[in-house]
Amino acid sequence: MTSPRMKTAALFLSIATLHGVTLAAMPLDIAHAQEAATAPASLTITFQGISQPTGELRGQLFASEAAYGGKGGEPAAQFVLPVTGDSVSTTLTGLQPGRYAIRVFHDVDGDGKMAANPFGIPTEPFAFSNDARGAFGPAAWSDAAFEVAGEAATVITID
Amino acid sequence: MDRRSFLSTAAAGIAAVALGPDVLHAAAASAGDWTLGVADVEADIPRQALRRLHGRAPVALSGTLFRNGPAKFHRPGGSALHWFDGDGMVRAFRIDEGQASLAARFLDTPKRRADTAANGVVTPGFGTPHRKGARGANNDDANPANISVMAAGGEMWALWESGSPMGFDPVTLETKGFKTLRPDLAHMPFLAHPRVEPGGRVWNLGLFGQKAIVWRLAPDGALEAAEPISLPRASYIHDFTATARHLVIVLQPWIQDRFAMPYKDSLSWRPDLGTQILVVDKGDFSKRRIFEAPPFFFFHLGDAWEEADGTIRFDAALDKDPSFAIEGGAAIITGRDVAGADPAMALVTLRPGGAVDITRTGQSGEFPRADPRFAGLARRRTVHLTRGADIHPLMQAVAVTDWKTGRSDAYDFGPGHIVEEMVFVPRPGGEAEFDGWLVGTSINLAARRTELHAFDARRVAAGPLVSWAAGVALPVTFHGLFVGA
Repeated sequence: MTSPRMKTAALFLSIATLHGVTLAAMPLDIAHAQEAATAPASLTITFQGISQPTGELRGQLFASEAAYGGKGGEPAAQFVLPVTGDSVSTTLTGLQPGRYAIRVFHDVDGDGKMAANPFGIPTEPFAFSNDARGAFGPAAWSDAAFEVAGEAATVITID
Repeated sequence: MDRRSFLSTAAAGIAAVALGPDVLHAAAASAGDWTLGVADVEADIPRQALRRLHGRAPVALSGTLFRNGPAKFHRPGGSALHWFDGDGMVRAFRIDEGQASLAARFLDTPKRRADTAANGVVTPGFGTPHRKGARGANNDDANPANISVMAAGGEMWALWESGSPMGFDPVTLETKGFKTLRPDLAHMPFLAHPRVEPGGRVWNLGLFGQKAIVWRLAPDGALEAAEPISLPRASYIHDFTATARHLVIVLQPWIQDRFAMPYKDSLSWRPDLGTQILVVDKGDFSKRRIFEAPPFFFFHLGDAWEEADGTIRFDAALDKDPSFAIEGGAAIITGRDVAGADPAMALVTLRPGGAVDITRTGQSGEFPRADPRFAGLARRRTVHLTRGADIHPLMQAVAVTDWKTGRSDAYDFGPGHIVEEMVFVPRPGGEAEFDGWLVGTSINLAARRTELHAFDARRVAAGPLVSWAAGVALPVTFHGLFVGA
């Protein structure tokens, strides 16, 4: 027995915010708030290494450490991407340039929820931007955050 | 608590303190360096023939003794801080036509890979904190697969207690990956001490604080059921036992009452709460009974059995408190011997009226094993280790205790050996309890080598029938299993 017992519980709770991802993509009203002097940015995200070509990827893009950590604020964007092969891409537009981080899980069974075993330990794959990995919890903002400006692109390995 | 046993325990503790660690070390050094038993192994051991030292192997003794235990503790960027947190290494001692051989291979776990990449033991464990650079998504990323082994059909599994079984090839010992018994049960804990009925059905527990499930597997390792069971407290449970009809879950008063790292820091010793013993009907978990017993600490229990009037008995290696789990296991891998741990063999009896009797033998003991053909059934005998001359923190003698007569016969390898758990191997064609051999290993400290021994199980005091020497000393293992040819 070991400390991961507790840490996995903590991990699950933090990952649980991903459950809030809805099937309908939310309108990106952040675009309306941007200053005229700042050109909107776009972000193309490619997910690779998918081992089970079923279900959907459900993810959230965060523009602040607080929102990323579940301590206040909404995600800047959310997405649901059907999975039919070993990779899938999406482009988010109208983003204010700045630092962002992504959390994503592979809803393999397509039930809209991140599956967990009876003790609450996630059983569906998840990942973070920069392929950052947590220490028996979610990856730190400082490890997962990356710069978005102009036409940005990032690749995340999941599964 | 038995007063006599307590006094002798206290006296042993005082004697050790009076001698002081330097004196103990000097004594140990004269018999060889006991820290060889917790030394690192740097690489896998290709199969090598063992050299016969004396005696002759019984013709019918044929098969493989698989043993598991931690074998890598130290790394430049930080070492394991507890014996239980070393990387698991499977040893396969093969006996065939009077010849013996040995191969050993590390389990290729995510933890070992992560620690190797970090050049330090960064992954958290039982007594090792998580360090900078630790990476993991779930409990199996911290799984060292280092406690025991079990057979599941033609597969072998290396077991930890807070994560999945790790499959390995019985011939090459190559790691096959974690076993997921059902997709929704991925990463569920699986204790290192499954109870196997004589017919091969496997019972086990998976624990997470006060939450628990009961695993039931077919003899081929296929999942039959995984049912939740509620426990009255969040005890540390390393082992449980079972009769043919009941699961017997001993809930010692070492209780997880907070979240802390490493795991052992989340537990509090609460002798005021006593020990609870939960007895559950294997066929209906709602049929349960809780027995109240005095406080004791334990790692290991023997197989339980039931008498006609409902009386349940099982043997156990009982200690007075978890000081070994907390301090002893941390000290031992730094070459220090701390006084305090003193597990001794006892017989626990659960009376139909609710009373709990604990008969303490006064004999030091650990690693109890019985005849697997009698698991859950009435039986008399237990093979276990016993201390012998108290010269290093590990044990030197093997004993067979007969619970009916109270007699215990032992063979002491002497202070120059660390002896490891011995298992009973039935003689083909035999049916009587302990008609067969005891097979196990020791570390010869002076010769700096691991040795393999086989005893007549009915005549342990006569010493080994045959002993072989390896060309290498491997550190002390925890548990093993003999798989007949």
